Amino acid sequence: MNAIEIRNLSKNFGSKQAVCGLDMTVPMGAIYGFIGENGSGKSTTEKMLCGLIPKSGGSIKLCGRDHTDPEIRAKMGALIEVPGCFPSLTVWDNMMLHATNLGLKDREKAVVEMLKTVRMEGAAGNKYKNCSLGMKQRVGIAMALLGDPALLVLDEPLNGLDADGMRIMREVFVDIVKEGKRTILVSSHLLGELQKVATHYGIIRHGKMIREMTAAELDADCRTYVALQAEEKSRAKLLLGTRFSRVEEDEAGFLRIYDLVTPEEVAVFLYENGILISEIKTDKIGLEEYYVDLMKEGKRG
Amino acid sequence: MKNNLSTMVKTDLRRMGRSRLFYILVACALLIPVVMVVMMSMMDGTVTVDPQTGAESVMEGPENAWQSIGTLPSPDGSTAPMGGMDVMAMCNINMMFMAVAVFICLFISEEFRSGYAKNLFTLRAKKASYVVSKTLMGFLCGLCLLAAYFVGALLGGAIAGLSFDLHGLNAGNLVMCMVAKAFLMLVFVAIDVLVSVAAKQKAWLCLCGSLGAGMLLFMTVSMVTPLNATVLHAGLCLAGGVLFALGLGACSKVVLNKTALV
Repeated sequence: MNAIEIRNLSKNFGSKQAVCGLDMTVPMGAIYGFIGENGSGKSTTEKMLCGLIPKSGGSIKLCGRDHTDPEIRAKMGALIEVPGCFPSLTVWDNMMLHATNLGLKDREKAVVEMLKTVRMEGAAGNKYKNCSLGMKQRVGIAMALLGDPALLVLDEPLNGLDADGMRIMREVFVDIVKEGKRTILVSSHLLGELQKVATHYGIIRHGKMIREMTAAELDADCRTYVALQAEEKSRAKLLLGTRFSRVEEDEAGFLRIYDLVTPEEVAVFLYENGILISEIKTDKIGLEEYYVDLMKEGKRG
Repeated sequence: MKNNLSTMVKTDLRRMGRSRLFYILVACALLIPVVMVVMMSMMDGTVTVDPQTGAESVMEGPENAWQSIGTLPSPDGSTAPMGGMDVMAMCNINMMFMAVAVFICLFISEEFRSGYAKNLFTLRAKKASYVVSKTLMGFLCGLCLLAAYFVGALLGGAIAGLSFDLHGLNAGNLVMCMVAKAFLMLVFVAIDVLVSVAAKQKAWLCLCGSLGAGMLLFMTVSMVTPLNATVLHAGLCLAGGVLFALGLGACSKVVLNKTALV
């Protein structure tokens, strides 16, 4: 049984179609990275999933049941856009309010544990409005995690988090799904961070799912390349361009050759043409580059 | 994990207990009658002259402590509104029906503005518990406001040294009058909840809508909850309150189901 099964989902805002015929399958126990450009329909899909906006068409099933089923919805946790806390209340009061809403038996213990998990135990007495962006985000994640939800929907949860915060969240996400009974749907523009934890991916564009794959499939799909640092970079680039079909310079100043070629072949070729190489390696493109390439292809198509 | 009406009510009670607005409104409800009665009593008999026409007018203060609760029958049998207390006619206990609108509008709109409503509705597919809980909170707040105003009216009357004579009415009438007002509060609360869930985060729209709708019904309050109220008045108000709460509650639920909650 899948945790989330969306079929032919659509949402219209007047004449604008935000989501059109979206299909999505999230297996139980997955950390599903939901990726797309701004305005591609990620948040709208998540809001429909959480029952916050009515859908125009299609079906949404959560753990095999309709998403309007109260029992299944009671097992959800969500962080959509903002944490949803009252600014004038303290972090503790906001958490306790949510724990009361969840009907938790030992509320204080649950809140203390969750604040510890997100390293916010020292700020429990702070008024929410006085918290920094990163702290607010941590509170939002803690609230979503409260009550041990079976399905977590997180919209940009890593926004505003520092490096330590991101590491903690990665650990928390992995910990949550390790028994295979809980599922996380997470959308983020921080693709490098997402790639470290996601087990499945869904890429959305103009309200349509353009690709769904597992982390293993992504890995197999990601192209390998040879990257090198040479003394006469511009000459080396020109020279390599005459021999190989795709040569690009990356942000770090490395020349990348995307053809199926070994580092030895490239090194010999440049040496024969009088160019010395200071560093050469083979590598794979990451999720970010894969995504950018996919978007470029889509735009070209 | 429980997820029913009781948890929603507990959550709202907890929030109401931490709401500054609630305490401010209750404090105002307590102080307004004290200030009004004492101030009007001090100005009793003051002669003012219109500088243009030269016409003299004499300020009339309250004669009886119950005048801020309702209209006392005159010795000649006529029922002049508020016994000639024009200023107090605008600031009598019926004003609490407007004050409760302020509470409900800000209470509900803050949930939508802060994004808290998203957390609530993600967990709650059934919107009925939300509507019932908000109606109960509004009703409870209304009761507190009425009680605070009543106490304030007694305090003001005692401080100003006014008569507590009921002019032929008995304590039962007074109790029925207050009970009728309490039940009638449900009518206003149901309207306020419907307007608030429709306007969502737009607090100004909630307030305008609720106060506007309240103004239309405001004049009927003194008629259906007079100081000489009987069980019949209370019964009528209860029936009206329940009908409005059920009918408009159902409408509120439909509005929540059919519209975006963010």
